[in-house]
Amino acid sequence: MNNEQTERLRASDVAVGDEGPTLVVENVDRVDFVKYAGASGDFNPLHVIEPYAKKADNPSVFGQGMLTAGYAAQMLTDWFGVGNLDRFKTRFTAKLWPGDTVTVTGEVVDTDESDGNMHVDTEFAARNQDDETLVTGDATAVLPTE
Amino acid sequence: MPEKPLTELEELIGESRITVDGLVVERGKVREFVTAVRDENPVYRDADVAAEQGLDEVPAPPTFTQVARHPRYQPADFDDDGIQGFDLGFDEARTVHGEQEYEFERPALVGETLTGTTTLTDVSQREGSDGTMTFAVLTTEYRNDDGELLVTERKTAIET
Repeated sequence: MNNEQTERLRASDVAVGDEGPTLVVENVDRVDFVKYAGASGDFNPLHVIEPYAKKADNPSVFGQGMLTAGYAAQMLTDWFGVGNLDRFKTRFTAKLWPGDTVTVTGEVVDTDESDGNMHVDTEFAARNQDDETLVTGDATAVLPTE
Repeated sequence: MPEKPLTELEELIGESRITVDGLVVERGKVREFVTAVRDENPVYRDADVAAEQGLDEVPAPPTFTQVARHPRYQPADFDDDGIQGFDLGFDEARTVHGEQEYEFERPALVGETLTGTTTLTDVSQREGSDGTMTFAVLTTEYRNDDGELLVTERKTAIET
């Protein structure tokens, strides 16, 4: 990601309909689930133990929802800068499987400057290579107007 | 359906407890977490880059408070069988994570220590195509040692 862009993003650069940076996470694999389990402390066996996942009627282990949310958060902070992110919400709609490539995109849906700062409302989604939506969400960034 | 009836769960609404204690935002832990989500942004690795963005130290990424699931950050009386420290009688095998929401006052920074207080803010039931679905909303406020609120996290768990 081009980090220079986030440092320079100013309120005057943002308009409804703008698209954010496209974040592509290629070939997510079991080791990503293991790393996220270790980093987060979420050791739910559905994400890391293949026989357990299969016994629960899954074809294989699958990713933690918060791993996909972490990819979505990365797109938002690449776009606006971590200090400007005011809130975000994710809804989990489909599972992340080994071998998936995840693409996160977002769009500005509203702006409001009434309190002297620019509040930028966005909607975003993370999709897999089959265009299936894994996560949808909305976020607000607050940018200085000066 | 959860082991506990809805009326019993509704009585728990508004109950609060400390569920995260001594969550130090460590430089190495931030690096470990962003590596796990394949985030290469230098702001999470280099205090000089953070300074260019007006931050006094390396910030925690938005979903960093997920690391609170490690036992080292939980109080001694933490109920490990429940959801975020609340035993709601949900069947783990049928419980899914429906939504997650964050509100930020500012990013937590390396060197700060966070305490998390979780409140059961809502419980409800709805009839779905496969029977009754039970929704629980758990809201956790993370504050630093000065009592300053940094992050509010809202998790919706659904027993299907």
